[in-house]
Formats: sequence, C-alpha cells, structure tokens
Amino acid sequence: MPWSGAARGSRAIANPQPAIDAARIAAETDAELVVRAQAGDRTAFGVLVDRYAAVVRRVARAVLADPDDADDAAQDAFLSALVKLRQYDPGRPFGPWLTRIAVNAATDRRRRRTVRRAEPLESYLPAGGTSPDAETDRRALGLRLRQALAELPERRRMAVVLFDVEGFTHAEVGRILGIPEGTARSEVFHARRALRVLLSDFKEREKE
Amino acid sequence: MKETSLAFDHRPDPVLGAALREALAGANHSSFVARVTAALAVPPRELHWDVLASWARRGIAAACVAAVGIGLLMAAVPLSAPMDLIASVSGPTAGEIVATVGPPEPGVALAPVGER
Repeated sequence: MPWSGAARGSRAIANPQPAIDAARIAAETDAELVVRAQAGDRTAFGVLVDRYAAVVRRVARAVLADPDDADDAAQDAFLSALVKLRQYDPGRPFGPWLTRIAVNAATDRRRRRTVRRAEPLESYLPAGGTSPDAETDRRALGLRLRQALAELPERRRMAVVLFDVEGFTHAEVGRILGIPEGTARSEVFHARRALRVLLSDFKEREKE
Repeated sequence: MKETSLAFDHRPDPVLGAALREALAGANHSSFVARVTAALAVPPRELHWDVLASWARRGIAAACVAAVGIGLLMAAVPLSAPMDLIASVSGPTAGEIVATVGPPEPGVALAPVGER
C-alpha cells in the first residue's frame, strides 16, 4: 500500500521540519519527484500537482467549455495519473505523459456531457463596442478566443493549444493526441490560420 | 501570404500562445491544488469509470459468447426446418408422381397442395 496512512505517519515522525522538507522536495526535478511518488511519497505527487495544475487545467478547458467541468476533468486527470503512476517510465518526460492523461480525461468527460452551459456573451462585451476598459476588452478577447476554439474540430483545438500554449513540439503533440507528426503539424497550421484572423481583427478594433 | 508562412512556422507563436494561455487559464490556482490534494488524501482506488469499464469488458465478452451460441443454434436450425417443410408439403405423393412410368393424371398433378 504505497499511499497508506502508516507510511505517511512514520515519515512525519521521522521529519521534524516538514516546511524545509517540502521546500527541498519542491526543488526536485520531475523525474526525481515521480520516483518518490512511485515509492509512495504523496508530498512529491502534490508538488507535481502544483507544478502541472495550470497546464492540465488549460488542456481540459480547451476541450470543455464550462470551467467547472474543466476543473473536474483536470482533477480526474491527476487522480488517474496517480492510479497509473506505476505504469509510467521515469526515463521519459512526465509532462507529455500527464498531458495525454489530461486530454483523455477531458475528452471522456465531454463525451459524458450532453448539455454544456454556455457563457453569456453579452456580459463580457463592451457596451456599444467603444468602451476603453482594458479589463473588459481582455475578457472579451478571452471569450472570443474560447468561442473560436470551440468552433474548431477538437483535435485541431488541442493541437494548437499544446503547440502554441504549452510549447510541446509537433512530435510530442502527435504522441499526446495519438496522431502522426505530420498530421499534428497540419492541425496546428489550420487552427492558427483560423485563430489569427480573429486575433488580428480584435487588435485592429482595439487600435480604432 | 505572410500569414500562411507564419502559420507553417515550426516555432510556437508567442502572441497567439499568450492570448490563448490567458483565455484558457483557470482561476484560483491554489484552491484547485488544495482540492486535488484533498482528493489525493483518499486512499487510491480505481476511478468509477475504470470500474464501469471493467464491467463493460466482461459484458462485451459475455455478449460475444451469447452471440456465438445463438449463431450456432441459428446455423443448425435452418438446415432441418426447410426439409421438414418440403416433406410435409410434397410428401410421398410427389415421389409417386415422379416414379410412375406414364404421365400423371392432370387432376392429380395440378391438384392444390392443401387437397392432397
């Protein structure tokens, strides 16, 4: 039982300075943390959660329109990663492995959801389109980008997020999505073309 | 044209990436991490979907076995049923008609099946 309370208890007694220990663990590499997590160190896995929460949430949000659904899927992904941690090869990078789990968790949740809540567009748009409020514009752009993403085929959407937002290579995007590298490259190209039109229109309007 | 060449760029687009990053960012990072960490405190067990998936695998296996069994039954039954039907309709009368040396009586050969 790698995650047993007994194991945690003995570690807590053996270590009188948990804050220093946590700081030391937080400085470790992914590979070191994964090895510790595989040995039953829940603190190490917690550090990985903290380190990758933003990535996993963004990936889930790219699939699921509703932010609560996306967070549920992100949590599912971490729990699934914990269950599957013994299958993970520490010799390979942790990020793509976890991201693939996140993509699957989000896709599974999206399939189970028949009705998704829609965000009200009007509440984010500047009144009359002339408001100089930067925060409102920023939120409006975010909403429009999410809507534009939602109109893309799911694989295309995921490809551009993984490449341009998360910084994975085309080969890694292909492995995460289970498609050839050339297909990943093509999906990124088509998604960029669609999103850049939206982005340039928005920036031009901002200048006016 | 410029846009097309940029779209084929092998490097991540920092402008598009930053805009998407902000659009997809989740709020309250620390509360989310705390929520996941709390969920991790529960002893790990198979997720309910994993459990359902394992049931589904068994269900599919059972359905395959049942389908094969039904298929074998169906394959065996149609061979005997038409022969029985033919025998009940034509019966010895047809054999007798064929076996006779002379031509059959028109009244016998053209008689409706139900009258035989």
